[in-house]
Amino acid sequence: MLKEVRGQVDHVLLFAILVIVILGICFIYSATWDPVSAGSGLHTLVVKQMVWVAAGFAMAFLIANIDYLRLVNYAYLIYALNLVALVFLLIFGGESHGARRWINLGPVSLQPSEFMKVTVILVLAAFLGERREKAGSFENFAGAILLILPAALLIFLQPDLGTAFVLVPILFTMLFICGENIKYILSSITIGLASMPLFWMLLKDYQKDRLMVFINPDIDPLGAGYTIIQSKIAIGSGGLFGKGWLNGTQSHLKFLPERHTDFIFSVVGEEWGFVGAFLLVGFYALVIARGIRIIAGSTDVYGRAIAAGIVTLVAFQVFVNISMTIGMMPVVGLPLPAVSYGGSNTVASLICIGFLLSISRRVS
Amino acid sequence: MRTKIYALILSIFFVLLLCGLGYVQIHRHAKYKVMSEENRLKVIPLMAPRGSILDRNGKDMVKDVLSFDVSIIYSQIKSMDELADILSSVLNVPAEEIKTKIKKSRWRPYSPTVIVEDIGVENGIYLEEIAMDYPALLIDVSAKREYVKGEGGANVLGYLGLINRSEFDRLKHYGYRMNDLVGRGGVEKVYDDYLRGTHGGKQVEVDHRGREIMLLGLKEPVPGKDLYLTIDLDLQEYCDELLEGKRGAIIAMEPDTGAILAMASAPSYDPEIFIDSRRKAEVTDVLKDKKYPLLNRAITGAYPPGSVFKAILATAGLETGVITLYTTFDCMGSIKLGRRTFHCWKKGGHGTQALEEAIKNSCNVYFWRLGSLLGVDNIAEYAEMFGVGKKTGVDLPGEVAGLLPSREWKKKEYKESWYKGETLNYSVGQGYVLCSPLQLCRIMAVFANGGYLVRPYIAASVEGVSLNSPERTRLDISEETLEHVREGLKKVVNDKRGTGMKACQPDVVVAGKTGTAQTSKGKSHGWFAGFAPFDNPKLTVIVFDEYGGKGGYYAAATAGKVFKRSNELGLLKP
Repeated sequence: MLKEVRGQVDHVLLFAILVIVILGICFIYSATWDPVSAGSGLHTLVVKQMVWVAAGFAMAFLIANIDYLRLVNYAYLIYALNLVALVFLLIFGGESHGARRWINLGPVSLQPSEFMKVTVILVLAAFLGERREKAGSFENFAGAILLILPAALLIFLQPDLGTAFVLVPILFTMLFICGENIKYILSSITIGLASMPLFWMLLKDYQKDRLMVFINPDIDPLGAGYTIIQSKIAIGSGGLFGKGWLNGTQSHLKFLPERHTDFIFSVVGEEWGFVGAFLLVGFYALVIARGIRIIAGSTDVYGRAIAAGIVTLVAFQVFVNISMTIGMMPVVGLPLPAVSYGGSNTVASLICIGFLLSISRRVS
Repeated sequence: MRTKIYALILSIFFVLLLCGLGYVQIHRHAKYKVMSEENRLKVIPLMAPRGSILDRNGKDMVKDVLSFDVSIIYSQIKSMDELADILSSVLNVPAEEIKTKIKKSRWRPYSPTVIVEDIGVENGIYLEEIAMDYPALLIDVSAKREYVKGEGGANVLGYLGLINRSEFDRLKHYGYRMNDLVGRGGVEKVYDDYLRGTHGGKQVEVDHRGREIMLLGLKEPVPGKDLYLTIDLDLQEYCDELLEGKRGAIIAMEPDTGAILAMASAPSYDPEIFIDSRRKAEVTDVLKDKKYPLLNRAITGAYPPGSVFKAILATAGLETGVITLYTTFDCMGSIKLGRRTFHCWKKGGHGTQALEEAIKNSCNVYFWRLGSLLGVDNIAEYAEMFGVGKKTGVDLPGEVAGLLPSREWKKKEYKESWYKGETLNYSVGQGYVLCSPLQLCRIMAVFANGGYLVRPYIAASVEGVSLNSPERTRLDISEETLEHVREGLKKVVNDKRGTGMKACQPDVVVAGKTGTAQTSKGKSHGWFAGFAPFDNPKLTVIVFDEYGGKGGYYAAATAGKVFKRSNELGLLKP
């Protein structure tokens, strides 16, 4: 074990995430704002999101203060518990929108798959870290894949295509950063791409619809393509400077579905235009840049691995989410980290930041 | 090294993202801006209600009523079972049926789909209140034309139909729109310009359900004008009842003015079937019906007038001086012309008769002899004077002119000269001559009003402005002649053994003439044309009984009932 020399957390990262979270609350406020009932206090969803943010930051500071190296010791236990939650969900979970994603715990409902993203990063870091002498071996490569396969399968069966897919880039980035064999990584990516048609057959009808509609949203403008078209209209009509906060017609006249969750970015694009979108993307870029700085500066393989996983997780979700709102990618249902409304997403995203902050204290 | 490669890959992705945003937000901004405006702004046509059609006393005959339709938006449904149960209990439609319709709408989950049409005012208002709690539920309100008496008077009122392509091209400059309803028959057609309003519209900001959020601009629709008819709804309804299950027509008209108080034609049809998309099958039935319910027999059918025509012949005889009131002919039951024998309707004959007796008995032999003496040219001249072969000019569509035979007509039509036997047929209203019931009605009115040929009309006024002023022409007939024929017509109904005695009324003196027109199909048409009260006629009535047999029976009895009812309604008061 490394000696207990720990410095300050990364203040720039902390600042960036604070801005992102505050912007998130502002736009959830806008997305749920109703001109008729305006003035009668905050919408319950805004209040709830504030509670989630507070809880998330509490977790983040907790993790930043507990050394991540101590948490790695519990990685397998946490992973096992999270797998149990997913199995439980698959067997007992109530269906909603054709998928079983939520565990109801009275007033709050948890989404174990959101936490699984972090858990997988942690367990992979533990696995690759303790076998760092064997880095580059096929054993390490195959072992890592087998390790996270149960998690990926359980999430895929919910079915939650987007979240299951996030695990893939996380895995490959962590293997890459931890010095595993590039040949294995590239050849498995090639095999993965080649087996796409097989994958297609495993998709549910609504998932196929979404992919088809992504290719041509006009197929069914009032059906499955509706969301994409309305989102593009929202963002496109925002122009350079946007229509102004609380002035988005697409969102306030409710043309835009899921506007406070997966499509919150459409509200940003409509009301603040390209400038606002650039600003938000810029702060995400700052988070990611600080993340890369942490990867580069981390003195131990655990820290590098965790940071790489988290940076990928955040970057991938930001890229996929924003791309789908402008019709560059299919609608896969990935939230915008720390901005989209939702307890599990917010808390899990801030836990990620907590890990980055924790690692940043050991950066030389 | 690996970290740098990774950083580079991530940078590429972020650049791609910004390019995508720039493309959508800056390069394609104009297009999406328009689309967003189109989303938000809707021009909602405000359909102008069509004017009502009322009778002379202001009773509604046709009016626009509100029609409520139930629509749902699939994506807004919280619990389909609950929604289906509520609709089922309110509308009395099986829940399964409603669910099937709701399920059909799932392919258009974000736009309203009509699932139950025309649910009635009370259900509409009730569901409108409920809709506050069920965002998936929408109640659409539109105007629907209601024909108060159903089939009653349908042939006069007409019906509405969707404007067709050629009409639209022709009429678009007059404010018609695609999907507009236009009058297709009867008064609805003739007075479409008054009845039809001017559509308005409003520009509104709407939400995704199409609900109005803010009004941005408004052009108020101008409702159509109410049209008052000369019809007396009570009498009209009574005439329709008399014709129930029969084929024929009844007209009641003011002899002095030509104002039509009732015009019934049977069989009839329900005009509402033409504007109800659920009743298309009934439209097909009506169009295919061999009894032609869409035909207004009062004006669109021309039939041999039979013995009613004898009134014209009597006038011609007296006016030309061929006979006097005291000239007599012997009826032995038949006459011979060349090798043919013509039989009077009464076997054994009527004996020796002068004019009034001959009218009363409707003696064919008398009129054959009179016709022979007059000759075809005189008969044609007087028939023409009475308006035979000419449209009356009534303000209803589809009127026919009938047929006025003459020597010249025969030459032109058949390239043959006129035969004497044809003059005999002509004399008793058989053969070529054809009249519509309305033509016979105004012919009879000449004897009621002292020698005037009137133009019948049905529309009284719009917004207090008269649409038709009575038009009448004094025919060149002496008072004396009119008086003699009138006496004959009085005897037809009031004398013992008069051919029209079935029309006789205890408290009002009716005069008139029966008719039986032989047809090629075997059974004859029955006629009765008459007026009352005799001394100061207020009403001319014609009953046409298609294939109904002798006029003396059903037609005269029916006319008698019409006079009786009119008297009860106070229409015969001086």
